[in-house]
Amino acid sequence: MTSLLTNPLRVGLRQERVITPQCIVIFGASGDLTHRKLVPALFELFRQRRLPSEFAVLGCARRPWSDEEFRSRMAASLAAEIADHPGAWEQFSQGLYYEPVDLQQSDHLVRLAGRLEVIDRHRATRGNRTFYLSVAPEFYGSGCRALAAAGLLSDPERSRVVIEKPFGRDYGSAQTLNKVVQACAKESQVYRIDHYLGKETVQNILVMRFANTIFEPIWNRNYISNVQITAAETVGVEDRAGYYESSGALRDMVQNHLTQILALTAMEPPGRFDAEAIRNEKAKVLQAARLADEQEPWRCCVRGQYGPGGSASRPLPGYREEPGVNPTSTTETYVAMKLFIDNWRWQGVPFYLRSGKRLPKRISEVVLTFREAPVHLFDAAGGAPTPNQLILRIQPDEGAEIKFEVKAPGSGMRSRPVDMAFSYDDSFGEPSDEGYVRLLADAMLGDPTLYTRSDEVEAAWRLYTPLLELIEEAPWQLPVQPYEARTWGPAAADNLLAEDGLIWRRP
Amino acid sequence: MAAQLTLQAPQEVPPSEVSPYLDRLWQGALEGSTGAATFTLLVWEPSWLEQQMVRTGLVEGPIRGLDRDDVMAAARQAVSDCGLPFSTAPCDPRLAWALGQRPGDRHAVDLRGQFVESAISVHRPRRLITLAPTIDAGRPLETMVAAYCPLPEEGGAGDACGDAVVLRGGIGALQQNLHLIQPLVGTELPCWVWWNSSLDEPHDMLEALAPIPRRLVIDTSLGEPRRCLEVMVERIRAGQAVNDLNWLRLRSWRESLAMVFDPPSRRDALAHVVQLDIDVEGDHPVKGLLLAAWIADRLGWHLVASSAIPPEPGGGYGGIAAEFERGDGACVRFRLMTVPVGVPKQHPGAIVGLRLICEPLSRPALCVILCSESGGCMRLESGGMASMELAEELVPLPEENEEMEMARLLAGGHDSTNPLLAAAAPLAAELLPD
Repeated sequence: MTSLLTNPLRVGLRQERVITPQCIVIFGASGDLTHRKLVPALFELFRQRRLPSEFAVLGCARRPWSDEEFRSRMAASLAAEIADHPGAWEQFSQGLYYEPVDLQQSDHLVRLAGRLEVIDRHRATRGNRTFYLSVAPEFYGSGCRALAAAGLLSDPERSRVVIEKPFGRDYGSAQTLNKVVQACAKESQVYRIDHYLGKETVQNILVMRFANTIFEPIWNRNYISNVQITAAETVGVEDRAGYYESSGALRDMVQNHLTQILALTAMEPPGRFDAEAIRNEKAKVLQAARLADEQEPWRCCVRGQYGPGGSASRPLPGYREEPGVNPTSTTETYVAMKLFIDNWRWQGVPFYLRSGKRLPKRISEVVLTFREAPVHLFDAAGGAPTPNQLILRIQPDEGAEIKFEVKAPGSGMRSRPVDMAFSYDDSFGEPSDEGYVRLLADAMLGDPTLYTRSDEVEAAWRLYTPLLELIEEAPWQLPVQPYEARTWGPAAADNLLAEDGLIWRRP
Repeated sequence: MAAQLTLQAPQEVPPSEVSPYLDRLWQGALEGSTGAATFTLLVWEPSWLEQQMVRTGLVEGPIRGLDRDDVMAAARQAVSDCGLPFSTAPCDPRLAWALGQRPGDRHAVDLRGQFVESAISVHRPRRLITLAPTIDAGRPLETMVAAYCPLPEEGGAGDACGDAVVLRGGIGALQQNLHLIQPLVGTELPCWVWWNSSLDEPHDMLEALAPIPRRLVIDTSLGEPRRCLEVMVERIRAGQAVNDLNWLRLRSWRESLAMVFDPPSRRDALAHVVQLDIDVEGDHPVKGLLLAAWIADRLGWHLVASSAIPPEPGGGYGGIAAEFERGDGACVRFRLMTVPVGVPKQHPGAIVGLRLICEPLSRPALCVILCSESGGCMRLESGGMASMELAEELVPLPEENEEMEMARLLAGGHDSTNPLLAAAAPLAAELLPD
């Protein structure tokens, strides 16, 4: 959201819980995520007075840094924020520590446990610890095992572990990883992060649906004809080729982010607002979801890969020309698919998901298209009345929009569509917190509502299993189709909807 | 939320045996439970009103010390029976005092400290210490101890996670045994002291119970206004973490006013405020002053002068007039009027309405009126605003009782005074004319 002039009456009004005294231990502290997201998020929490004075951050990685070196590296990453709040950084950085640790070395874990006890004494953190595994995915399981073997996860009330995405590569590996993790810690200690759930507008899907009475009665197959969920990026693979080559759009975006949005959009109302009630409903709806054609998944799914594009003055390379990408790569940078949810609410309503890189706009949104009026009484400016649509804009220009027909001015009774729009910027004008600020705070507060539970993760992987197996075993049946960079994906994606007499919304 | 009883029947033990008994409890019967590493909550819980109403037969026992609908309903009735003004809030300490002058000798079981509001217990206080003075000033000290735990559906585990200690007796007995408190509080965990009574009560008890660094919770709607503000300001200046339930109850007013100016298109009007009016119930101005002080602080106004507005003959309580200077040197007029109401809120000095008039240079004047949802604010709606852009909102009444407000504070867990309150409190004290 755009940062506008702050409302002076808004400052300090949020009544949020202070995190209990504790030490957050970040594994992978020399990595990109730590200095770009995690430490800035913790500093932001400190500035918001949400961290207690009894708080410490212990960075861990294999590099032989000292506390001072860690602090100065973090300070370099946060230079702009520190320039605005030098006093706050001075205080905050006193709680930053570093310990060289290789999670595969048991003696390192023994040393780590000792260091944590020293920090407990110096910072009065009372043995409360959050372990954040910001390491390569192949180390999630062994990392948990190492922590458990060192006795660092033995107190379920005082220790928890946050695991970054991706949680597994498919249904089988997710199951295996869940078993490993659950052998090391109780489910209540495990926080599987999906940073999309930290977005204000993703959480707003819940509030829109369940804090209003006008939407929920029509939020079903009787009134909704189809749902489109889009996450479009303008950027290419950038410097993530190494990871992206082995994941692709399906694993990178759809299985986690888009599926979480799908779950929030389609879930039943929870009985109460607590973590288990919400996660129960999300898991249930994902368990009821399926590809539109599981036997022949190529009929309900399109994969694409961006080719060269752009303009003569600013040409854009194709995916296969990007640094680090195999020149014959068949990794998809675009995926579109059609799903159904087999339950009373959604039976027969198609859900269309699409996500891609190098598309014309950066946009994430959910579009619910309502059924047409049963009888057309009026002439419509567009020939036929435009179906009502509710558009939940997740980013950018966060907000919501309803499209409906009104009488066009003048004699006669012609109708035309208009928009009724809500914009976070216009209504609040305040920047919202970065997703990691919210999610880190929740983990340290022991609130897992916005984290995915083991059954949710498994249900999400199971949903795409026919597709993943097809790509693995018979990729020629679902080839990556080229599309020009900065276009809306391959033509086959349009055909996917055209078969149902629909078109993708052009945001 | 329903209140919970302690896990076991409270055990009465001699005062000198309290600490040893607790040690035995944790090392013996509750062995294996680590207990909660959270905080200690020390509550001064006289419940004078409830005690007097039970004594005079206006309500039945037992005495519990928690907010009770039947006590509030009977208190409203008792206001007129005692000859107090209709605007007297049921929690006004003057009502308990007036009831104390009436005859009665009924008794009831006293369960203060033995009920734990689940909104509080869900935060797992490690120790809950209740000081329960009795209206019989000569009563000797009784001490009771019990283990407690939040219910599983409220997030609690099966293990006992804390204990509750009750010290009950006449004021004299409590004062003589204050030395018992420090060992019970300890130093390892943060301690919150909830002064759940009027700030007019003897100073020495507050001093004894709430030294720094204990975190203090008071209610500046209870007690003589100047005394309330002085206690709060002194403690904040001394560096104590002070929380005021009266300030917390302003939350919906502050939120509603902020919401009016959330749209960026309205923001610039805040730099051009020329007039602020606040109406409060009865004759207790502290809440209104805190609201005005918060606005003044947030908008960078400087107090020039304040004075009392004498009551109008035949009605009303009068008020306070003040003049602020904006950052650009322009003047802001402020009036706080204390107005009579037929059905006052539970606590003295509730806000009735607020009016803020802004005169931006390049657009029509803006008049913001916030009105309590439980009553009208015709006084603020009248008077020459026809040409202004009008933004009028109803402010919802909070539905939370004392214990839930307290629980919210404990959940917040701050170890310092809220900076907004720290800035507003001294200014509110300055606004109160001598």
